[in-house]
Amino acid sequence: MNIYNESIFRQAAFNTRRHFIKQMTGGIGALAFSSLMGCNTASEKMMASNPLKAQPAHYIPRAKRVIYLHMAGSPSQLELFDYKPLLEKYDGKDCPEELLEGKRFAFIQGVPKMLGPQYKFAQHGQSGAWVSDRLPHFTKVVDDVAILKALHTNEFNHAPAQLLLHTGSARLGRPSMGSWVTYGLGSENENLPSFIVLVSGGKTPSAGKSVWGSGFLPTIYQGVQCRSEGDPVLYLSNPKGMDKALRQKSIETINNINKKTYNEIGDPEILTRIAQYEMAFKMQMSVPEAMDISREPESVHTAYGTEPGKSSFANNCLLARRLAERDVRFIQLYHWGWDAHGASKEEALDYGFKDRCREVDKPMTALLQDLKQRGLLDETLVVWGGEFGRTPMRENRGGKEMQFVGRDHQKDAFTMWMAGGGVKPGISYGKTDEIGYSGVEGRIHVHDLQATIMHLLGFNHEKLTYPFQGRDFRLTDVHGQIVNDIIT
Amino acid sequence: MRTIILSLALLFLFACGSDHSKKKVSFNENIRPILASKCMSCHGGVKKLGGFSILTREEALGIMESGEVAIIPGLADSSLLIHLLTDPDPEIRMPQEGEPLSSAEIQLIKNWIDNGAEWEEHWSFIPPQKPEVPEMEGSNVRNEIDHFISERLKEKGLSLQVEQEKTKLIRRLSFDLRGLPPTLEDVESFLNNKSPEAYEQVVDEYLASPAYGEHWASMWLDLARYADSKGYEADRHREIWKFRDWVIGAFNNDLPFDEFTLQQLAGDMLPDADTNKLIATAFHRNTMNNDEGGTDDEEFRVASVIDRVNTTWDVWMGMSFSCVQCHSHPYDPFDHEDYYEFMAFLNNTRDADKPDESPTIPVYTVEQERTRAVLQQQIKQTGTSANSPDQWASLKDSLEKIKPTTLPVMEELTAEERRTTYLYDRGNWLAPGKEVSPNIPGSLTSSKPVTDRLAMARWMIGAQNPFTSRVTANRFWGALFGKGIVETQEDFGSQGMAPSHPELLDWLAVYFREEAQWSIKSLLKKIVMSGAYRQSELVDANLLQVDPYNKLISRSPRLRLTAEQVRDQALAISGLLSSKMYGPSVMPVQPEGIWQAVYNGSSWQTSKGDDQYRRALYTYIRRTSPYPSMITFDSPSREFCVNRRIATNTPLQALVTLNDPVYFEAAEALAEKMKLAGEEPTDQISAGYEMALFKQPTAEILHALSGLYHEASGEAIPENQLISEKADLRENIPPLVLVANAIMNLDAFITK
Repeated sequence: MNIYNESIFRQAAFNTRRHFIKQMTGGIGALAFSSLMGCNTASEKMMASNPLKAQPAHYIPRAKRVIYLHMAGSPSQLELFDYKPLLEKYDGKDCPEELLEGKRFAFIQGVPKMLGPQYKFAQHGQSGAWVSDRLPHFTKVVDDVAILKALHTNEFNHAPAQLLLHTGSARLGRPSMGSWVTYGLGSENENLPSFIVLVSGGKTPSAGKSVWGSGFLPTIYQGVQCRSEGDPVLYLSNPKGMDKALRQKSIETINNINKKTYNEIGDPEILTRIAQYEMAFKMQMSVPEAMDISREPESVHTAYGTEPGKSSFANNCLLARRLAERDVRFIQLYHWGWDAHGASKEEALDYGFKDRCREVDKPMTALLQDLKQRGLLDETLVVWGGEFGRTPMRENRGGKEMQFVGRDHQKDAFTMWMAGGGVKPGISYGKTDEIGYSGVEGRIHVHDLQATIMHLLGFNHEKLTYPFQGRDFRLTDVHGQIVNDIIT
Repeated sequence: MRTIILSLALLFLFACGSDHSKKKVSFNENIRPILASKCMSCHGGVKKLGGFSILTREEALGIMESGEVAIIPGLADSSLLIHLLTDPDPEIRMPQEGEPLSSAEIQLIKNWIDNGAEWEEHWSFIPPQKPEVPEMEGSNVRNEIDHFISERLKEKGLSLQVEQEKTKLIRRLSFDLRGLPPTLEDVESFLNNKSPEAYEQVVDEYLASPAYGEHWASMWLDLARYADSKGYEADRHREIWKFRDWVIGAFNNDLPFDEFTLQQLAGDMLPDADTNKLIATAFHRNTMNNDEGGTDDEEFRVASVIDRVNTTWDVWMGMSFSCVQCHSHPYDPFDHEDYYEFMAFLNNTRDADKPDESPTIPVYTVEQERTRAVLQQQIKQTGTSANSPDQWASLKDSLEKIKPTTLPVMEELTAEERRTTYLYDRGNWLAPGKEVSPNIPGSLTSSKPVTDRLAMARWMIGAQNPFTSRVTANRFWGALFGKGIVETQEDFGSQGMAPSHPELLDWLAVYFREEAQWSIKSLLKKIVMSGAYRQSELVDANLLQVDPYNKLISRSPRLRLTAEQVRDQALAISGLLSSKMYGPSVMPVQPEGIWQAVYNGSSWQTSKGDDQYRRALYTYIRRTSPYPSMITFDSPSREFCVNRRIATNTPLQALVTLNDPVYFEAAEALAEKMKLAGEEPTDQISAGYEMALFKQPTAEILHALSGLYHEASGEAIPENQLISEKADLRENIPPLVLVANAIMNLDAFITK
């Protein structure tokens, strides 16, 4: 019997009541089990068994894992997916008063001018999806994705909006979606963390690492940031001069002595520690292997546009596929630099925005094609989007026309797309008004998006809860409707 | 299976000899738990389905939407509630969702209604009274605490264990009181001291050590959400370390907890407010600031005030008041309005989410303060002699050159400037409702009106507040035993866990407030002097079966060291630790590329010299990107008040202590010390083990560590391996360093 199972067994044997109820509930699983044990605290659940053991779901899951491509800073829907010919007509005209009434903006002041689409749009694929000329590669896979055009949120500043999207609350301190998924689904890979984060664009998202933090969930569920430069996981490599065999011997020695301590004292937590040192060693072997893209064939590098050893969104997309193959549960990518206000060249629809599009178009397309070809797309949910949308008006910071072209933040309408993992392919869902300012049909709040993602993974978002400060918390707070229309 | 459980439950009731036909039942003990777990979620504060709520007696006996009454006191059989609980039709039967109540539960409710359906307040709303100390005897029964603990143990056929082995006891005591391992000398003199007061002498010595304040400050700083940055987008630097130093000083001087409270919540409003008391008010300036372009300062000012309300309740009341921000409390007797009335106490300070953090006061480091004092003294002397104006001017110049740093503080608005506080509909600051005036919640009492922040602070520590003394005593107990007597340290409400030893909790609370006069050192001493604290950690199958989670305190808890202790121990044992106290936060070695927040050019500049080896609590905390090895060991990112850390046990922790350069450098330093123990590797290894764990390794352990040593030195390389290749690599890693690294990764080392 391996030491992990022994630890579980010992715990169970010591606690007859727990053991008894576990027998009784049979297949209902750990969630029902913990709700039966009303007096049990979460920390006891942690101690009682391997907290990363895969747990049975509430429903039959459609997706086994998620690859979430977050475009930090929020790309303009009006330049990519949400084509508005009428807006073209109004280009350069003063924004009508009624559109400004009761609205709060980050930067817009006074009466701004309307801004028409900056790029050419055309319909693509069998589905006839509208995509602009900024995403030429992506046009080839539109029949595999569901384009959601009427997302909305409550926040119009980056940090709170990112928090709301990824943690269900605009304030810091809640667990991220990946943490919830890890808490619910556990791990299917004994050698890798089950929630991995990859960041490109040179900067972490505005809300910082809290967007992949575990909040009040135990830290074991937090995202582990892997880096394509330096140690892929912090402190993964051995100190200089120590080879694998020696590290193995040293961990064996540590575990050997810890086993003696266990025999003497009987504290089951020692067994967990022994198992975790074994896991650390396994990670030392498997993470560098998983993160090494240099051995991928040339054709793959060409398709993704990858360059081994560099930090890029392309490299991270390829890594995402490699991690998906290795059964990592939640693979979260962040690509920074979409905040095109027009305040500087880098932050402008006519400059920086074009570069961002180039950086993501090819790799995200390659990722979808690659997953599909390997038969992984059916069981992998891919999600793409920013934290909010951009205004149909041109930004006029300080009430003046700005040097570059840009749009301000807005929360009432933005586009995301999803693919694979039980999502209907080749559909456009939801509609915005004629200038793309508000959703008028098929609106999806970010809490609905979260509920839907959890549903596709086999979880009832209302039932996957964790007790904290006197109440049961969940990802969707007290909201969230599953968007059944986009599910196959 | 269910029938088995049922019959077991019945069996249990009968076994307890309870004749439950007409027996008087206690609302808090018997009825409240049933209502809280089976009915409250639909018939509580937020949801009052069918117009029925069991939050208060008044509501429970009221007329429902149907016009009927659910509970008729004295007449269980006529009460609709009983009919609904027992109806055979699952469409009608309550609870609508979930299993029906057991017949034993229904019988209890019937008896309760027949007896008049009397209500009792939730236990934590009743101010603690000092209970009788039960008469108990036993080998390790040393003070009042042990009487309470033993009484419960005896019910289960257990008793306090014998005293813990001395080296382990002093090691744990040292970590618990000052966050550091003992020194070899401490251990030796304790072992050799045959006086009956030997243990007490060590306790007094540790309580008096400056490291004591540093250790307990860490706990308080989690509650104060102390950090060196503002949080939110750019997460810029914040100068607030002087508050951290104030907390260390307050603990070391044993500032009584009532004063400690008053100064932090309202030091600026005290009649004798001085700089020191203003520094204390930075407690509530640790809220986050949002400097992001385009944000509304008022929105984030309100967010700060709301955080202050929630934090005040988390820290002193142990109540999840934040629920009431959006709606009346679902489980505890607080109205939506109560929240905003309380908020009105905190809504009148001058700070307003400004990038310069105003209002601030100038503050100086300890060294600066000294230099300034010297200069001022000299100026005074020179000035009086009046015959050396040049010297006077130069001194004056030197004095002015000492530039202070700023510290954000609380400042109350004048009467004319006061803000009006409104109730926010669903907690939304853009939807103000009716105007409210400052007040404490109606379910709590005060003999005189509580009108402003200072009065609120005084009420917090007054005898009419049932929470502060219990919550605080429980928190210190939890710090020593790994969990509180109320395990949900953050929730003393009806959804929190009931105390494992209610009488002990009340006894401690009253002792703390009255006999100890709010002295934290006295409270801690009382606890660590108990036999319960001093007992052995040994566990056997029987103990694990009867008390698997040590709720009865049937043994000494074995706990993983905290994030701070893990670091401090490695530095202390290896001799690297700097004893320097106070001052701006420092930046020990951290991997490249950790800081990548947007719009912020600031970078991690590794501190020079001794500052690399300071205690963990002096490490710079940037909220969006805290020091990675500390986070791995469960230290929070300090965005919000954290009432307790839940210890995890993860592979990433192993990677830190195995590979983090900080820990490897400590292993190298320990190896240097080990070398001095003699020529023979076994002597060196043995000495290293003793330096780390204060006792000789057993033959088996020594054998295992020696095996590692020989492996690393190349002597034990198996013949079928490529000797040349391996030997080359291994030349670089001194075998003794590897052994030191292994010792510093032993379970016994990272556990206390």
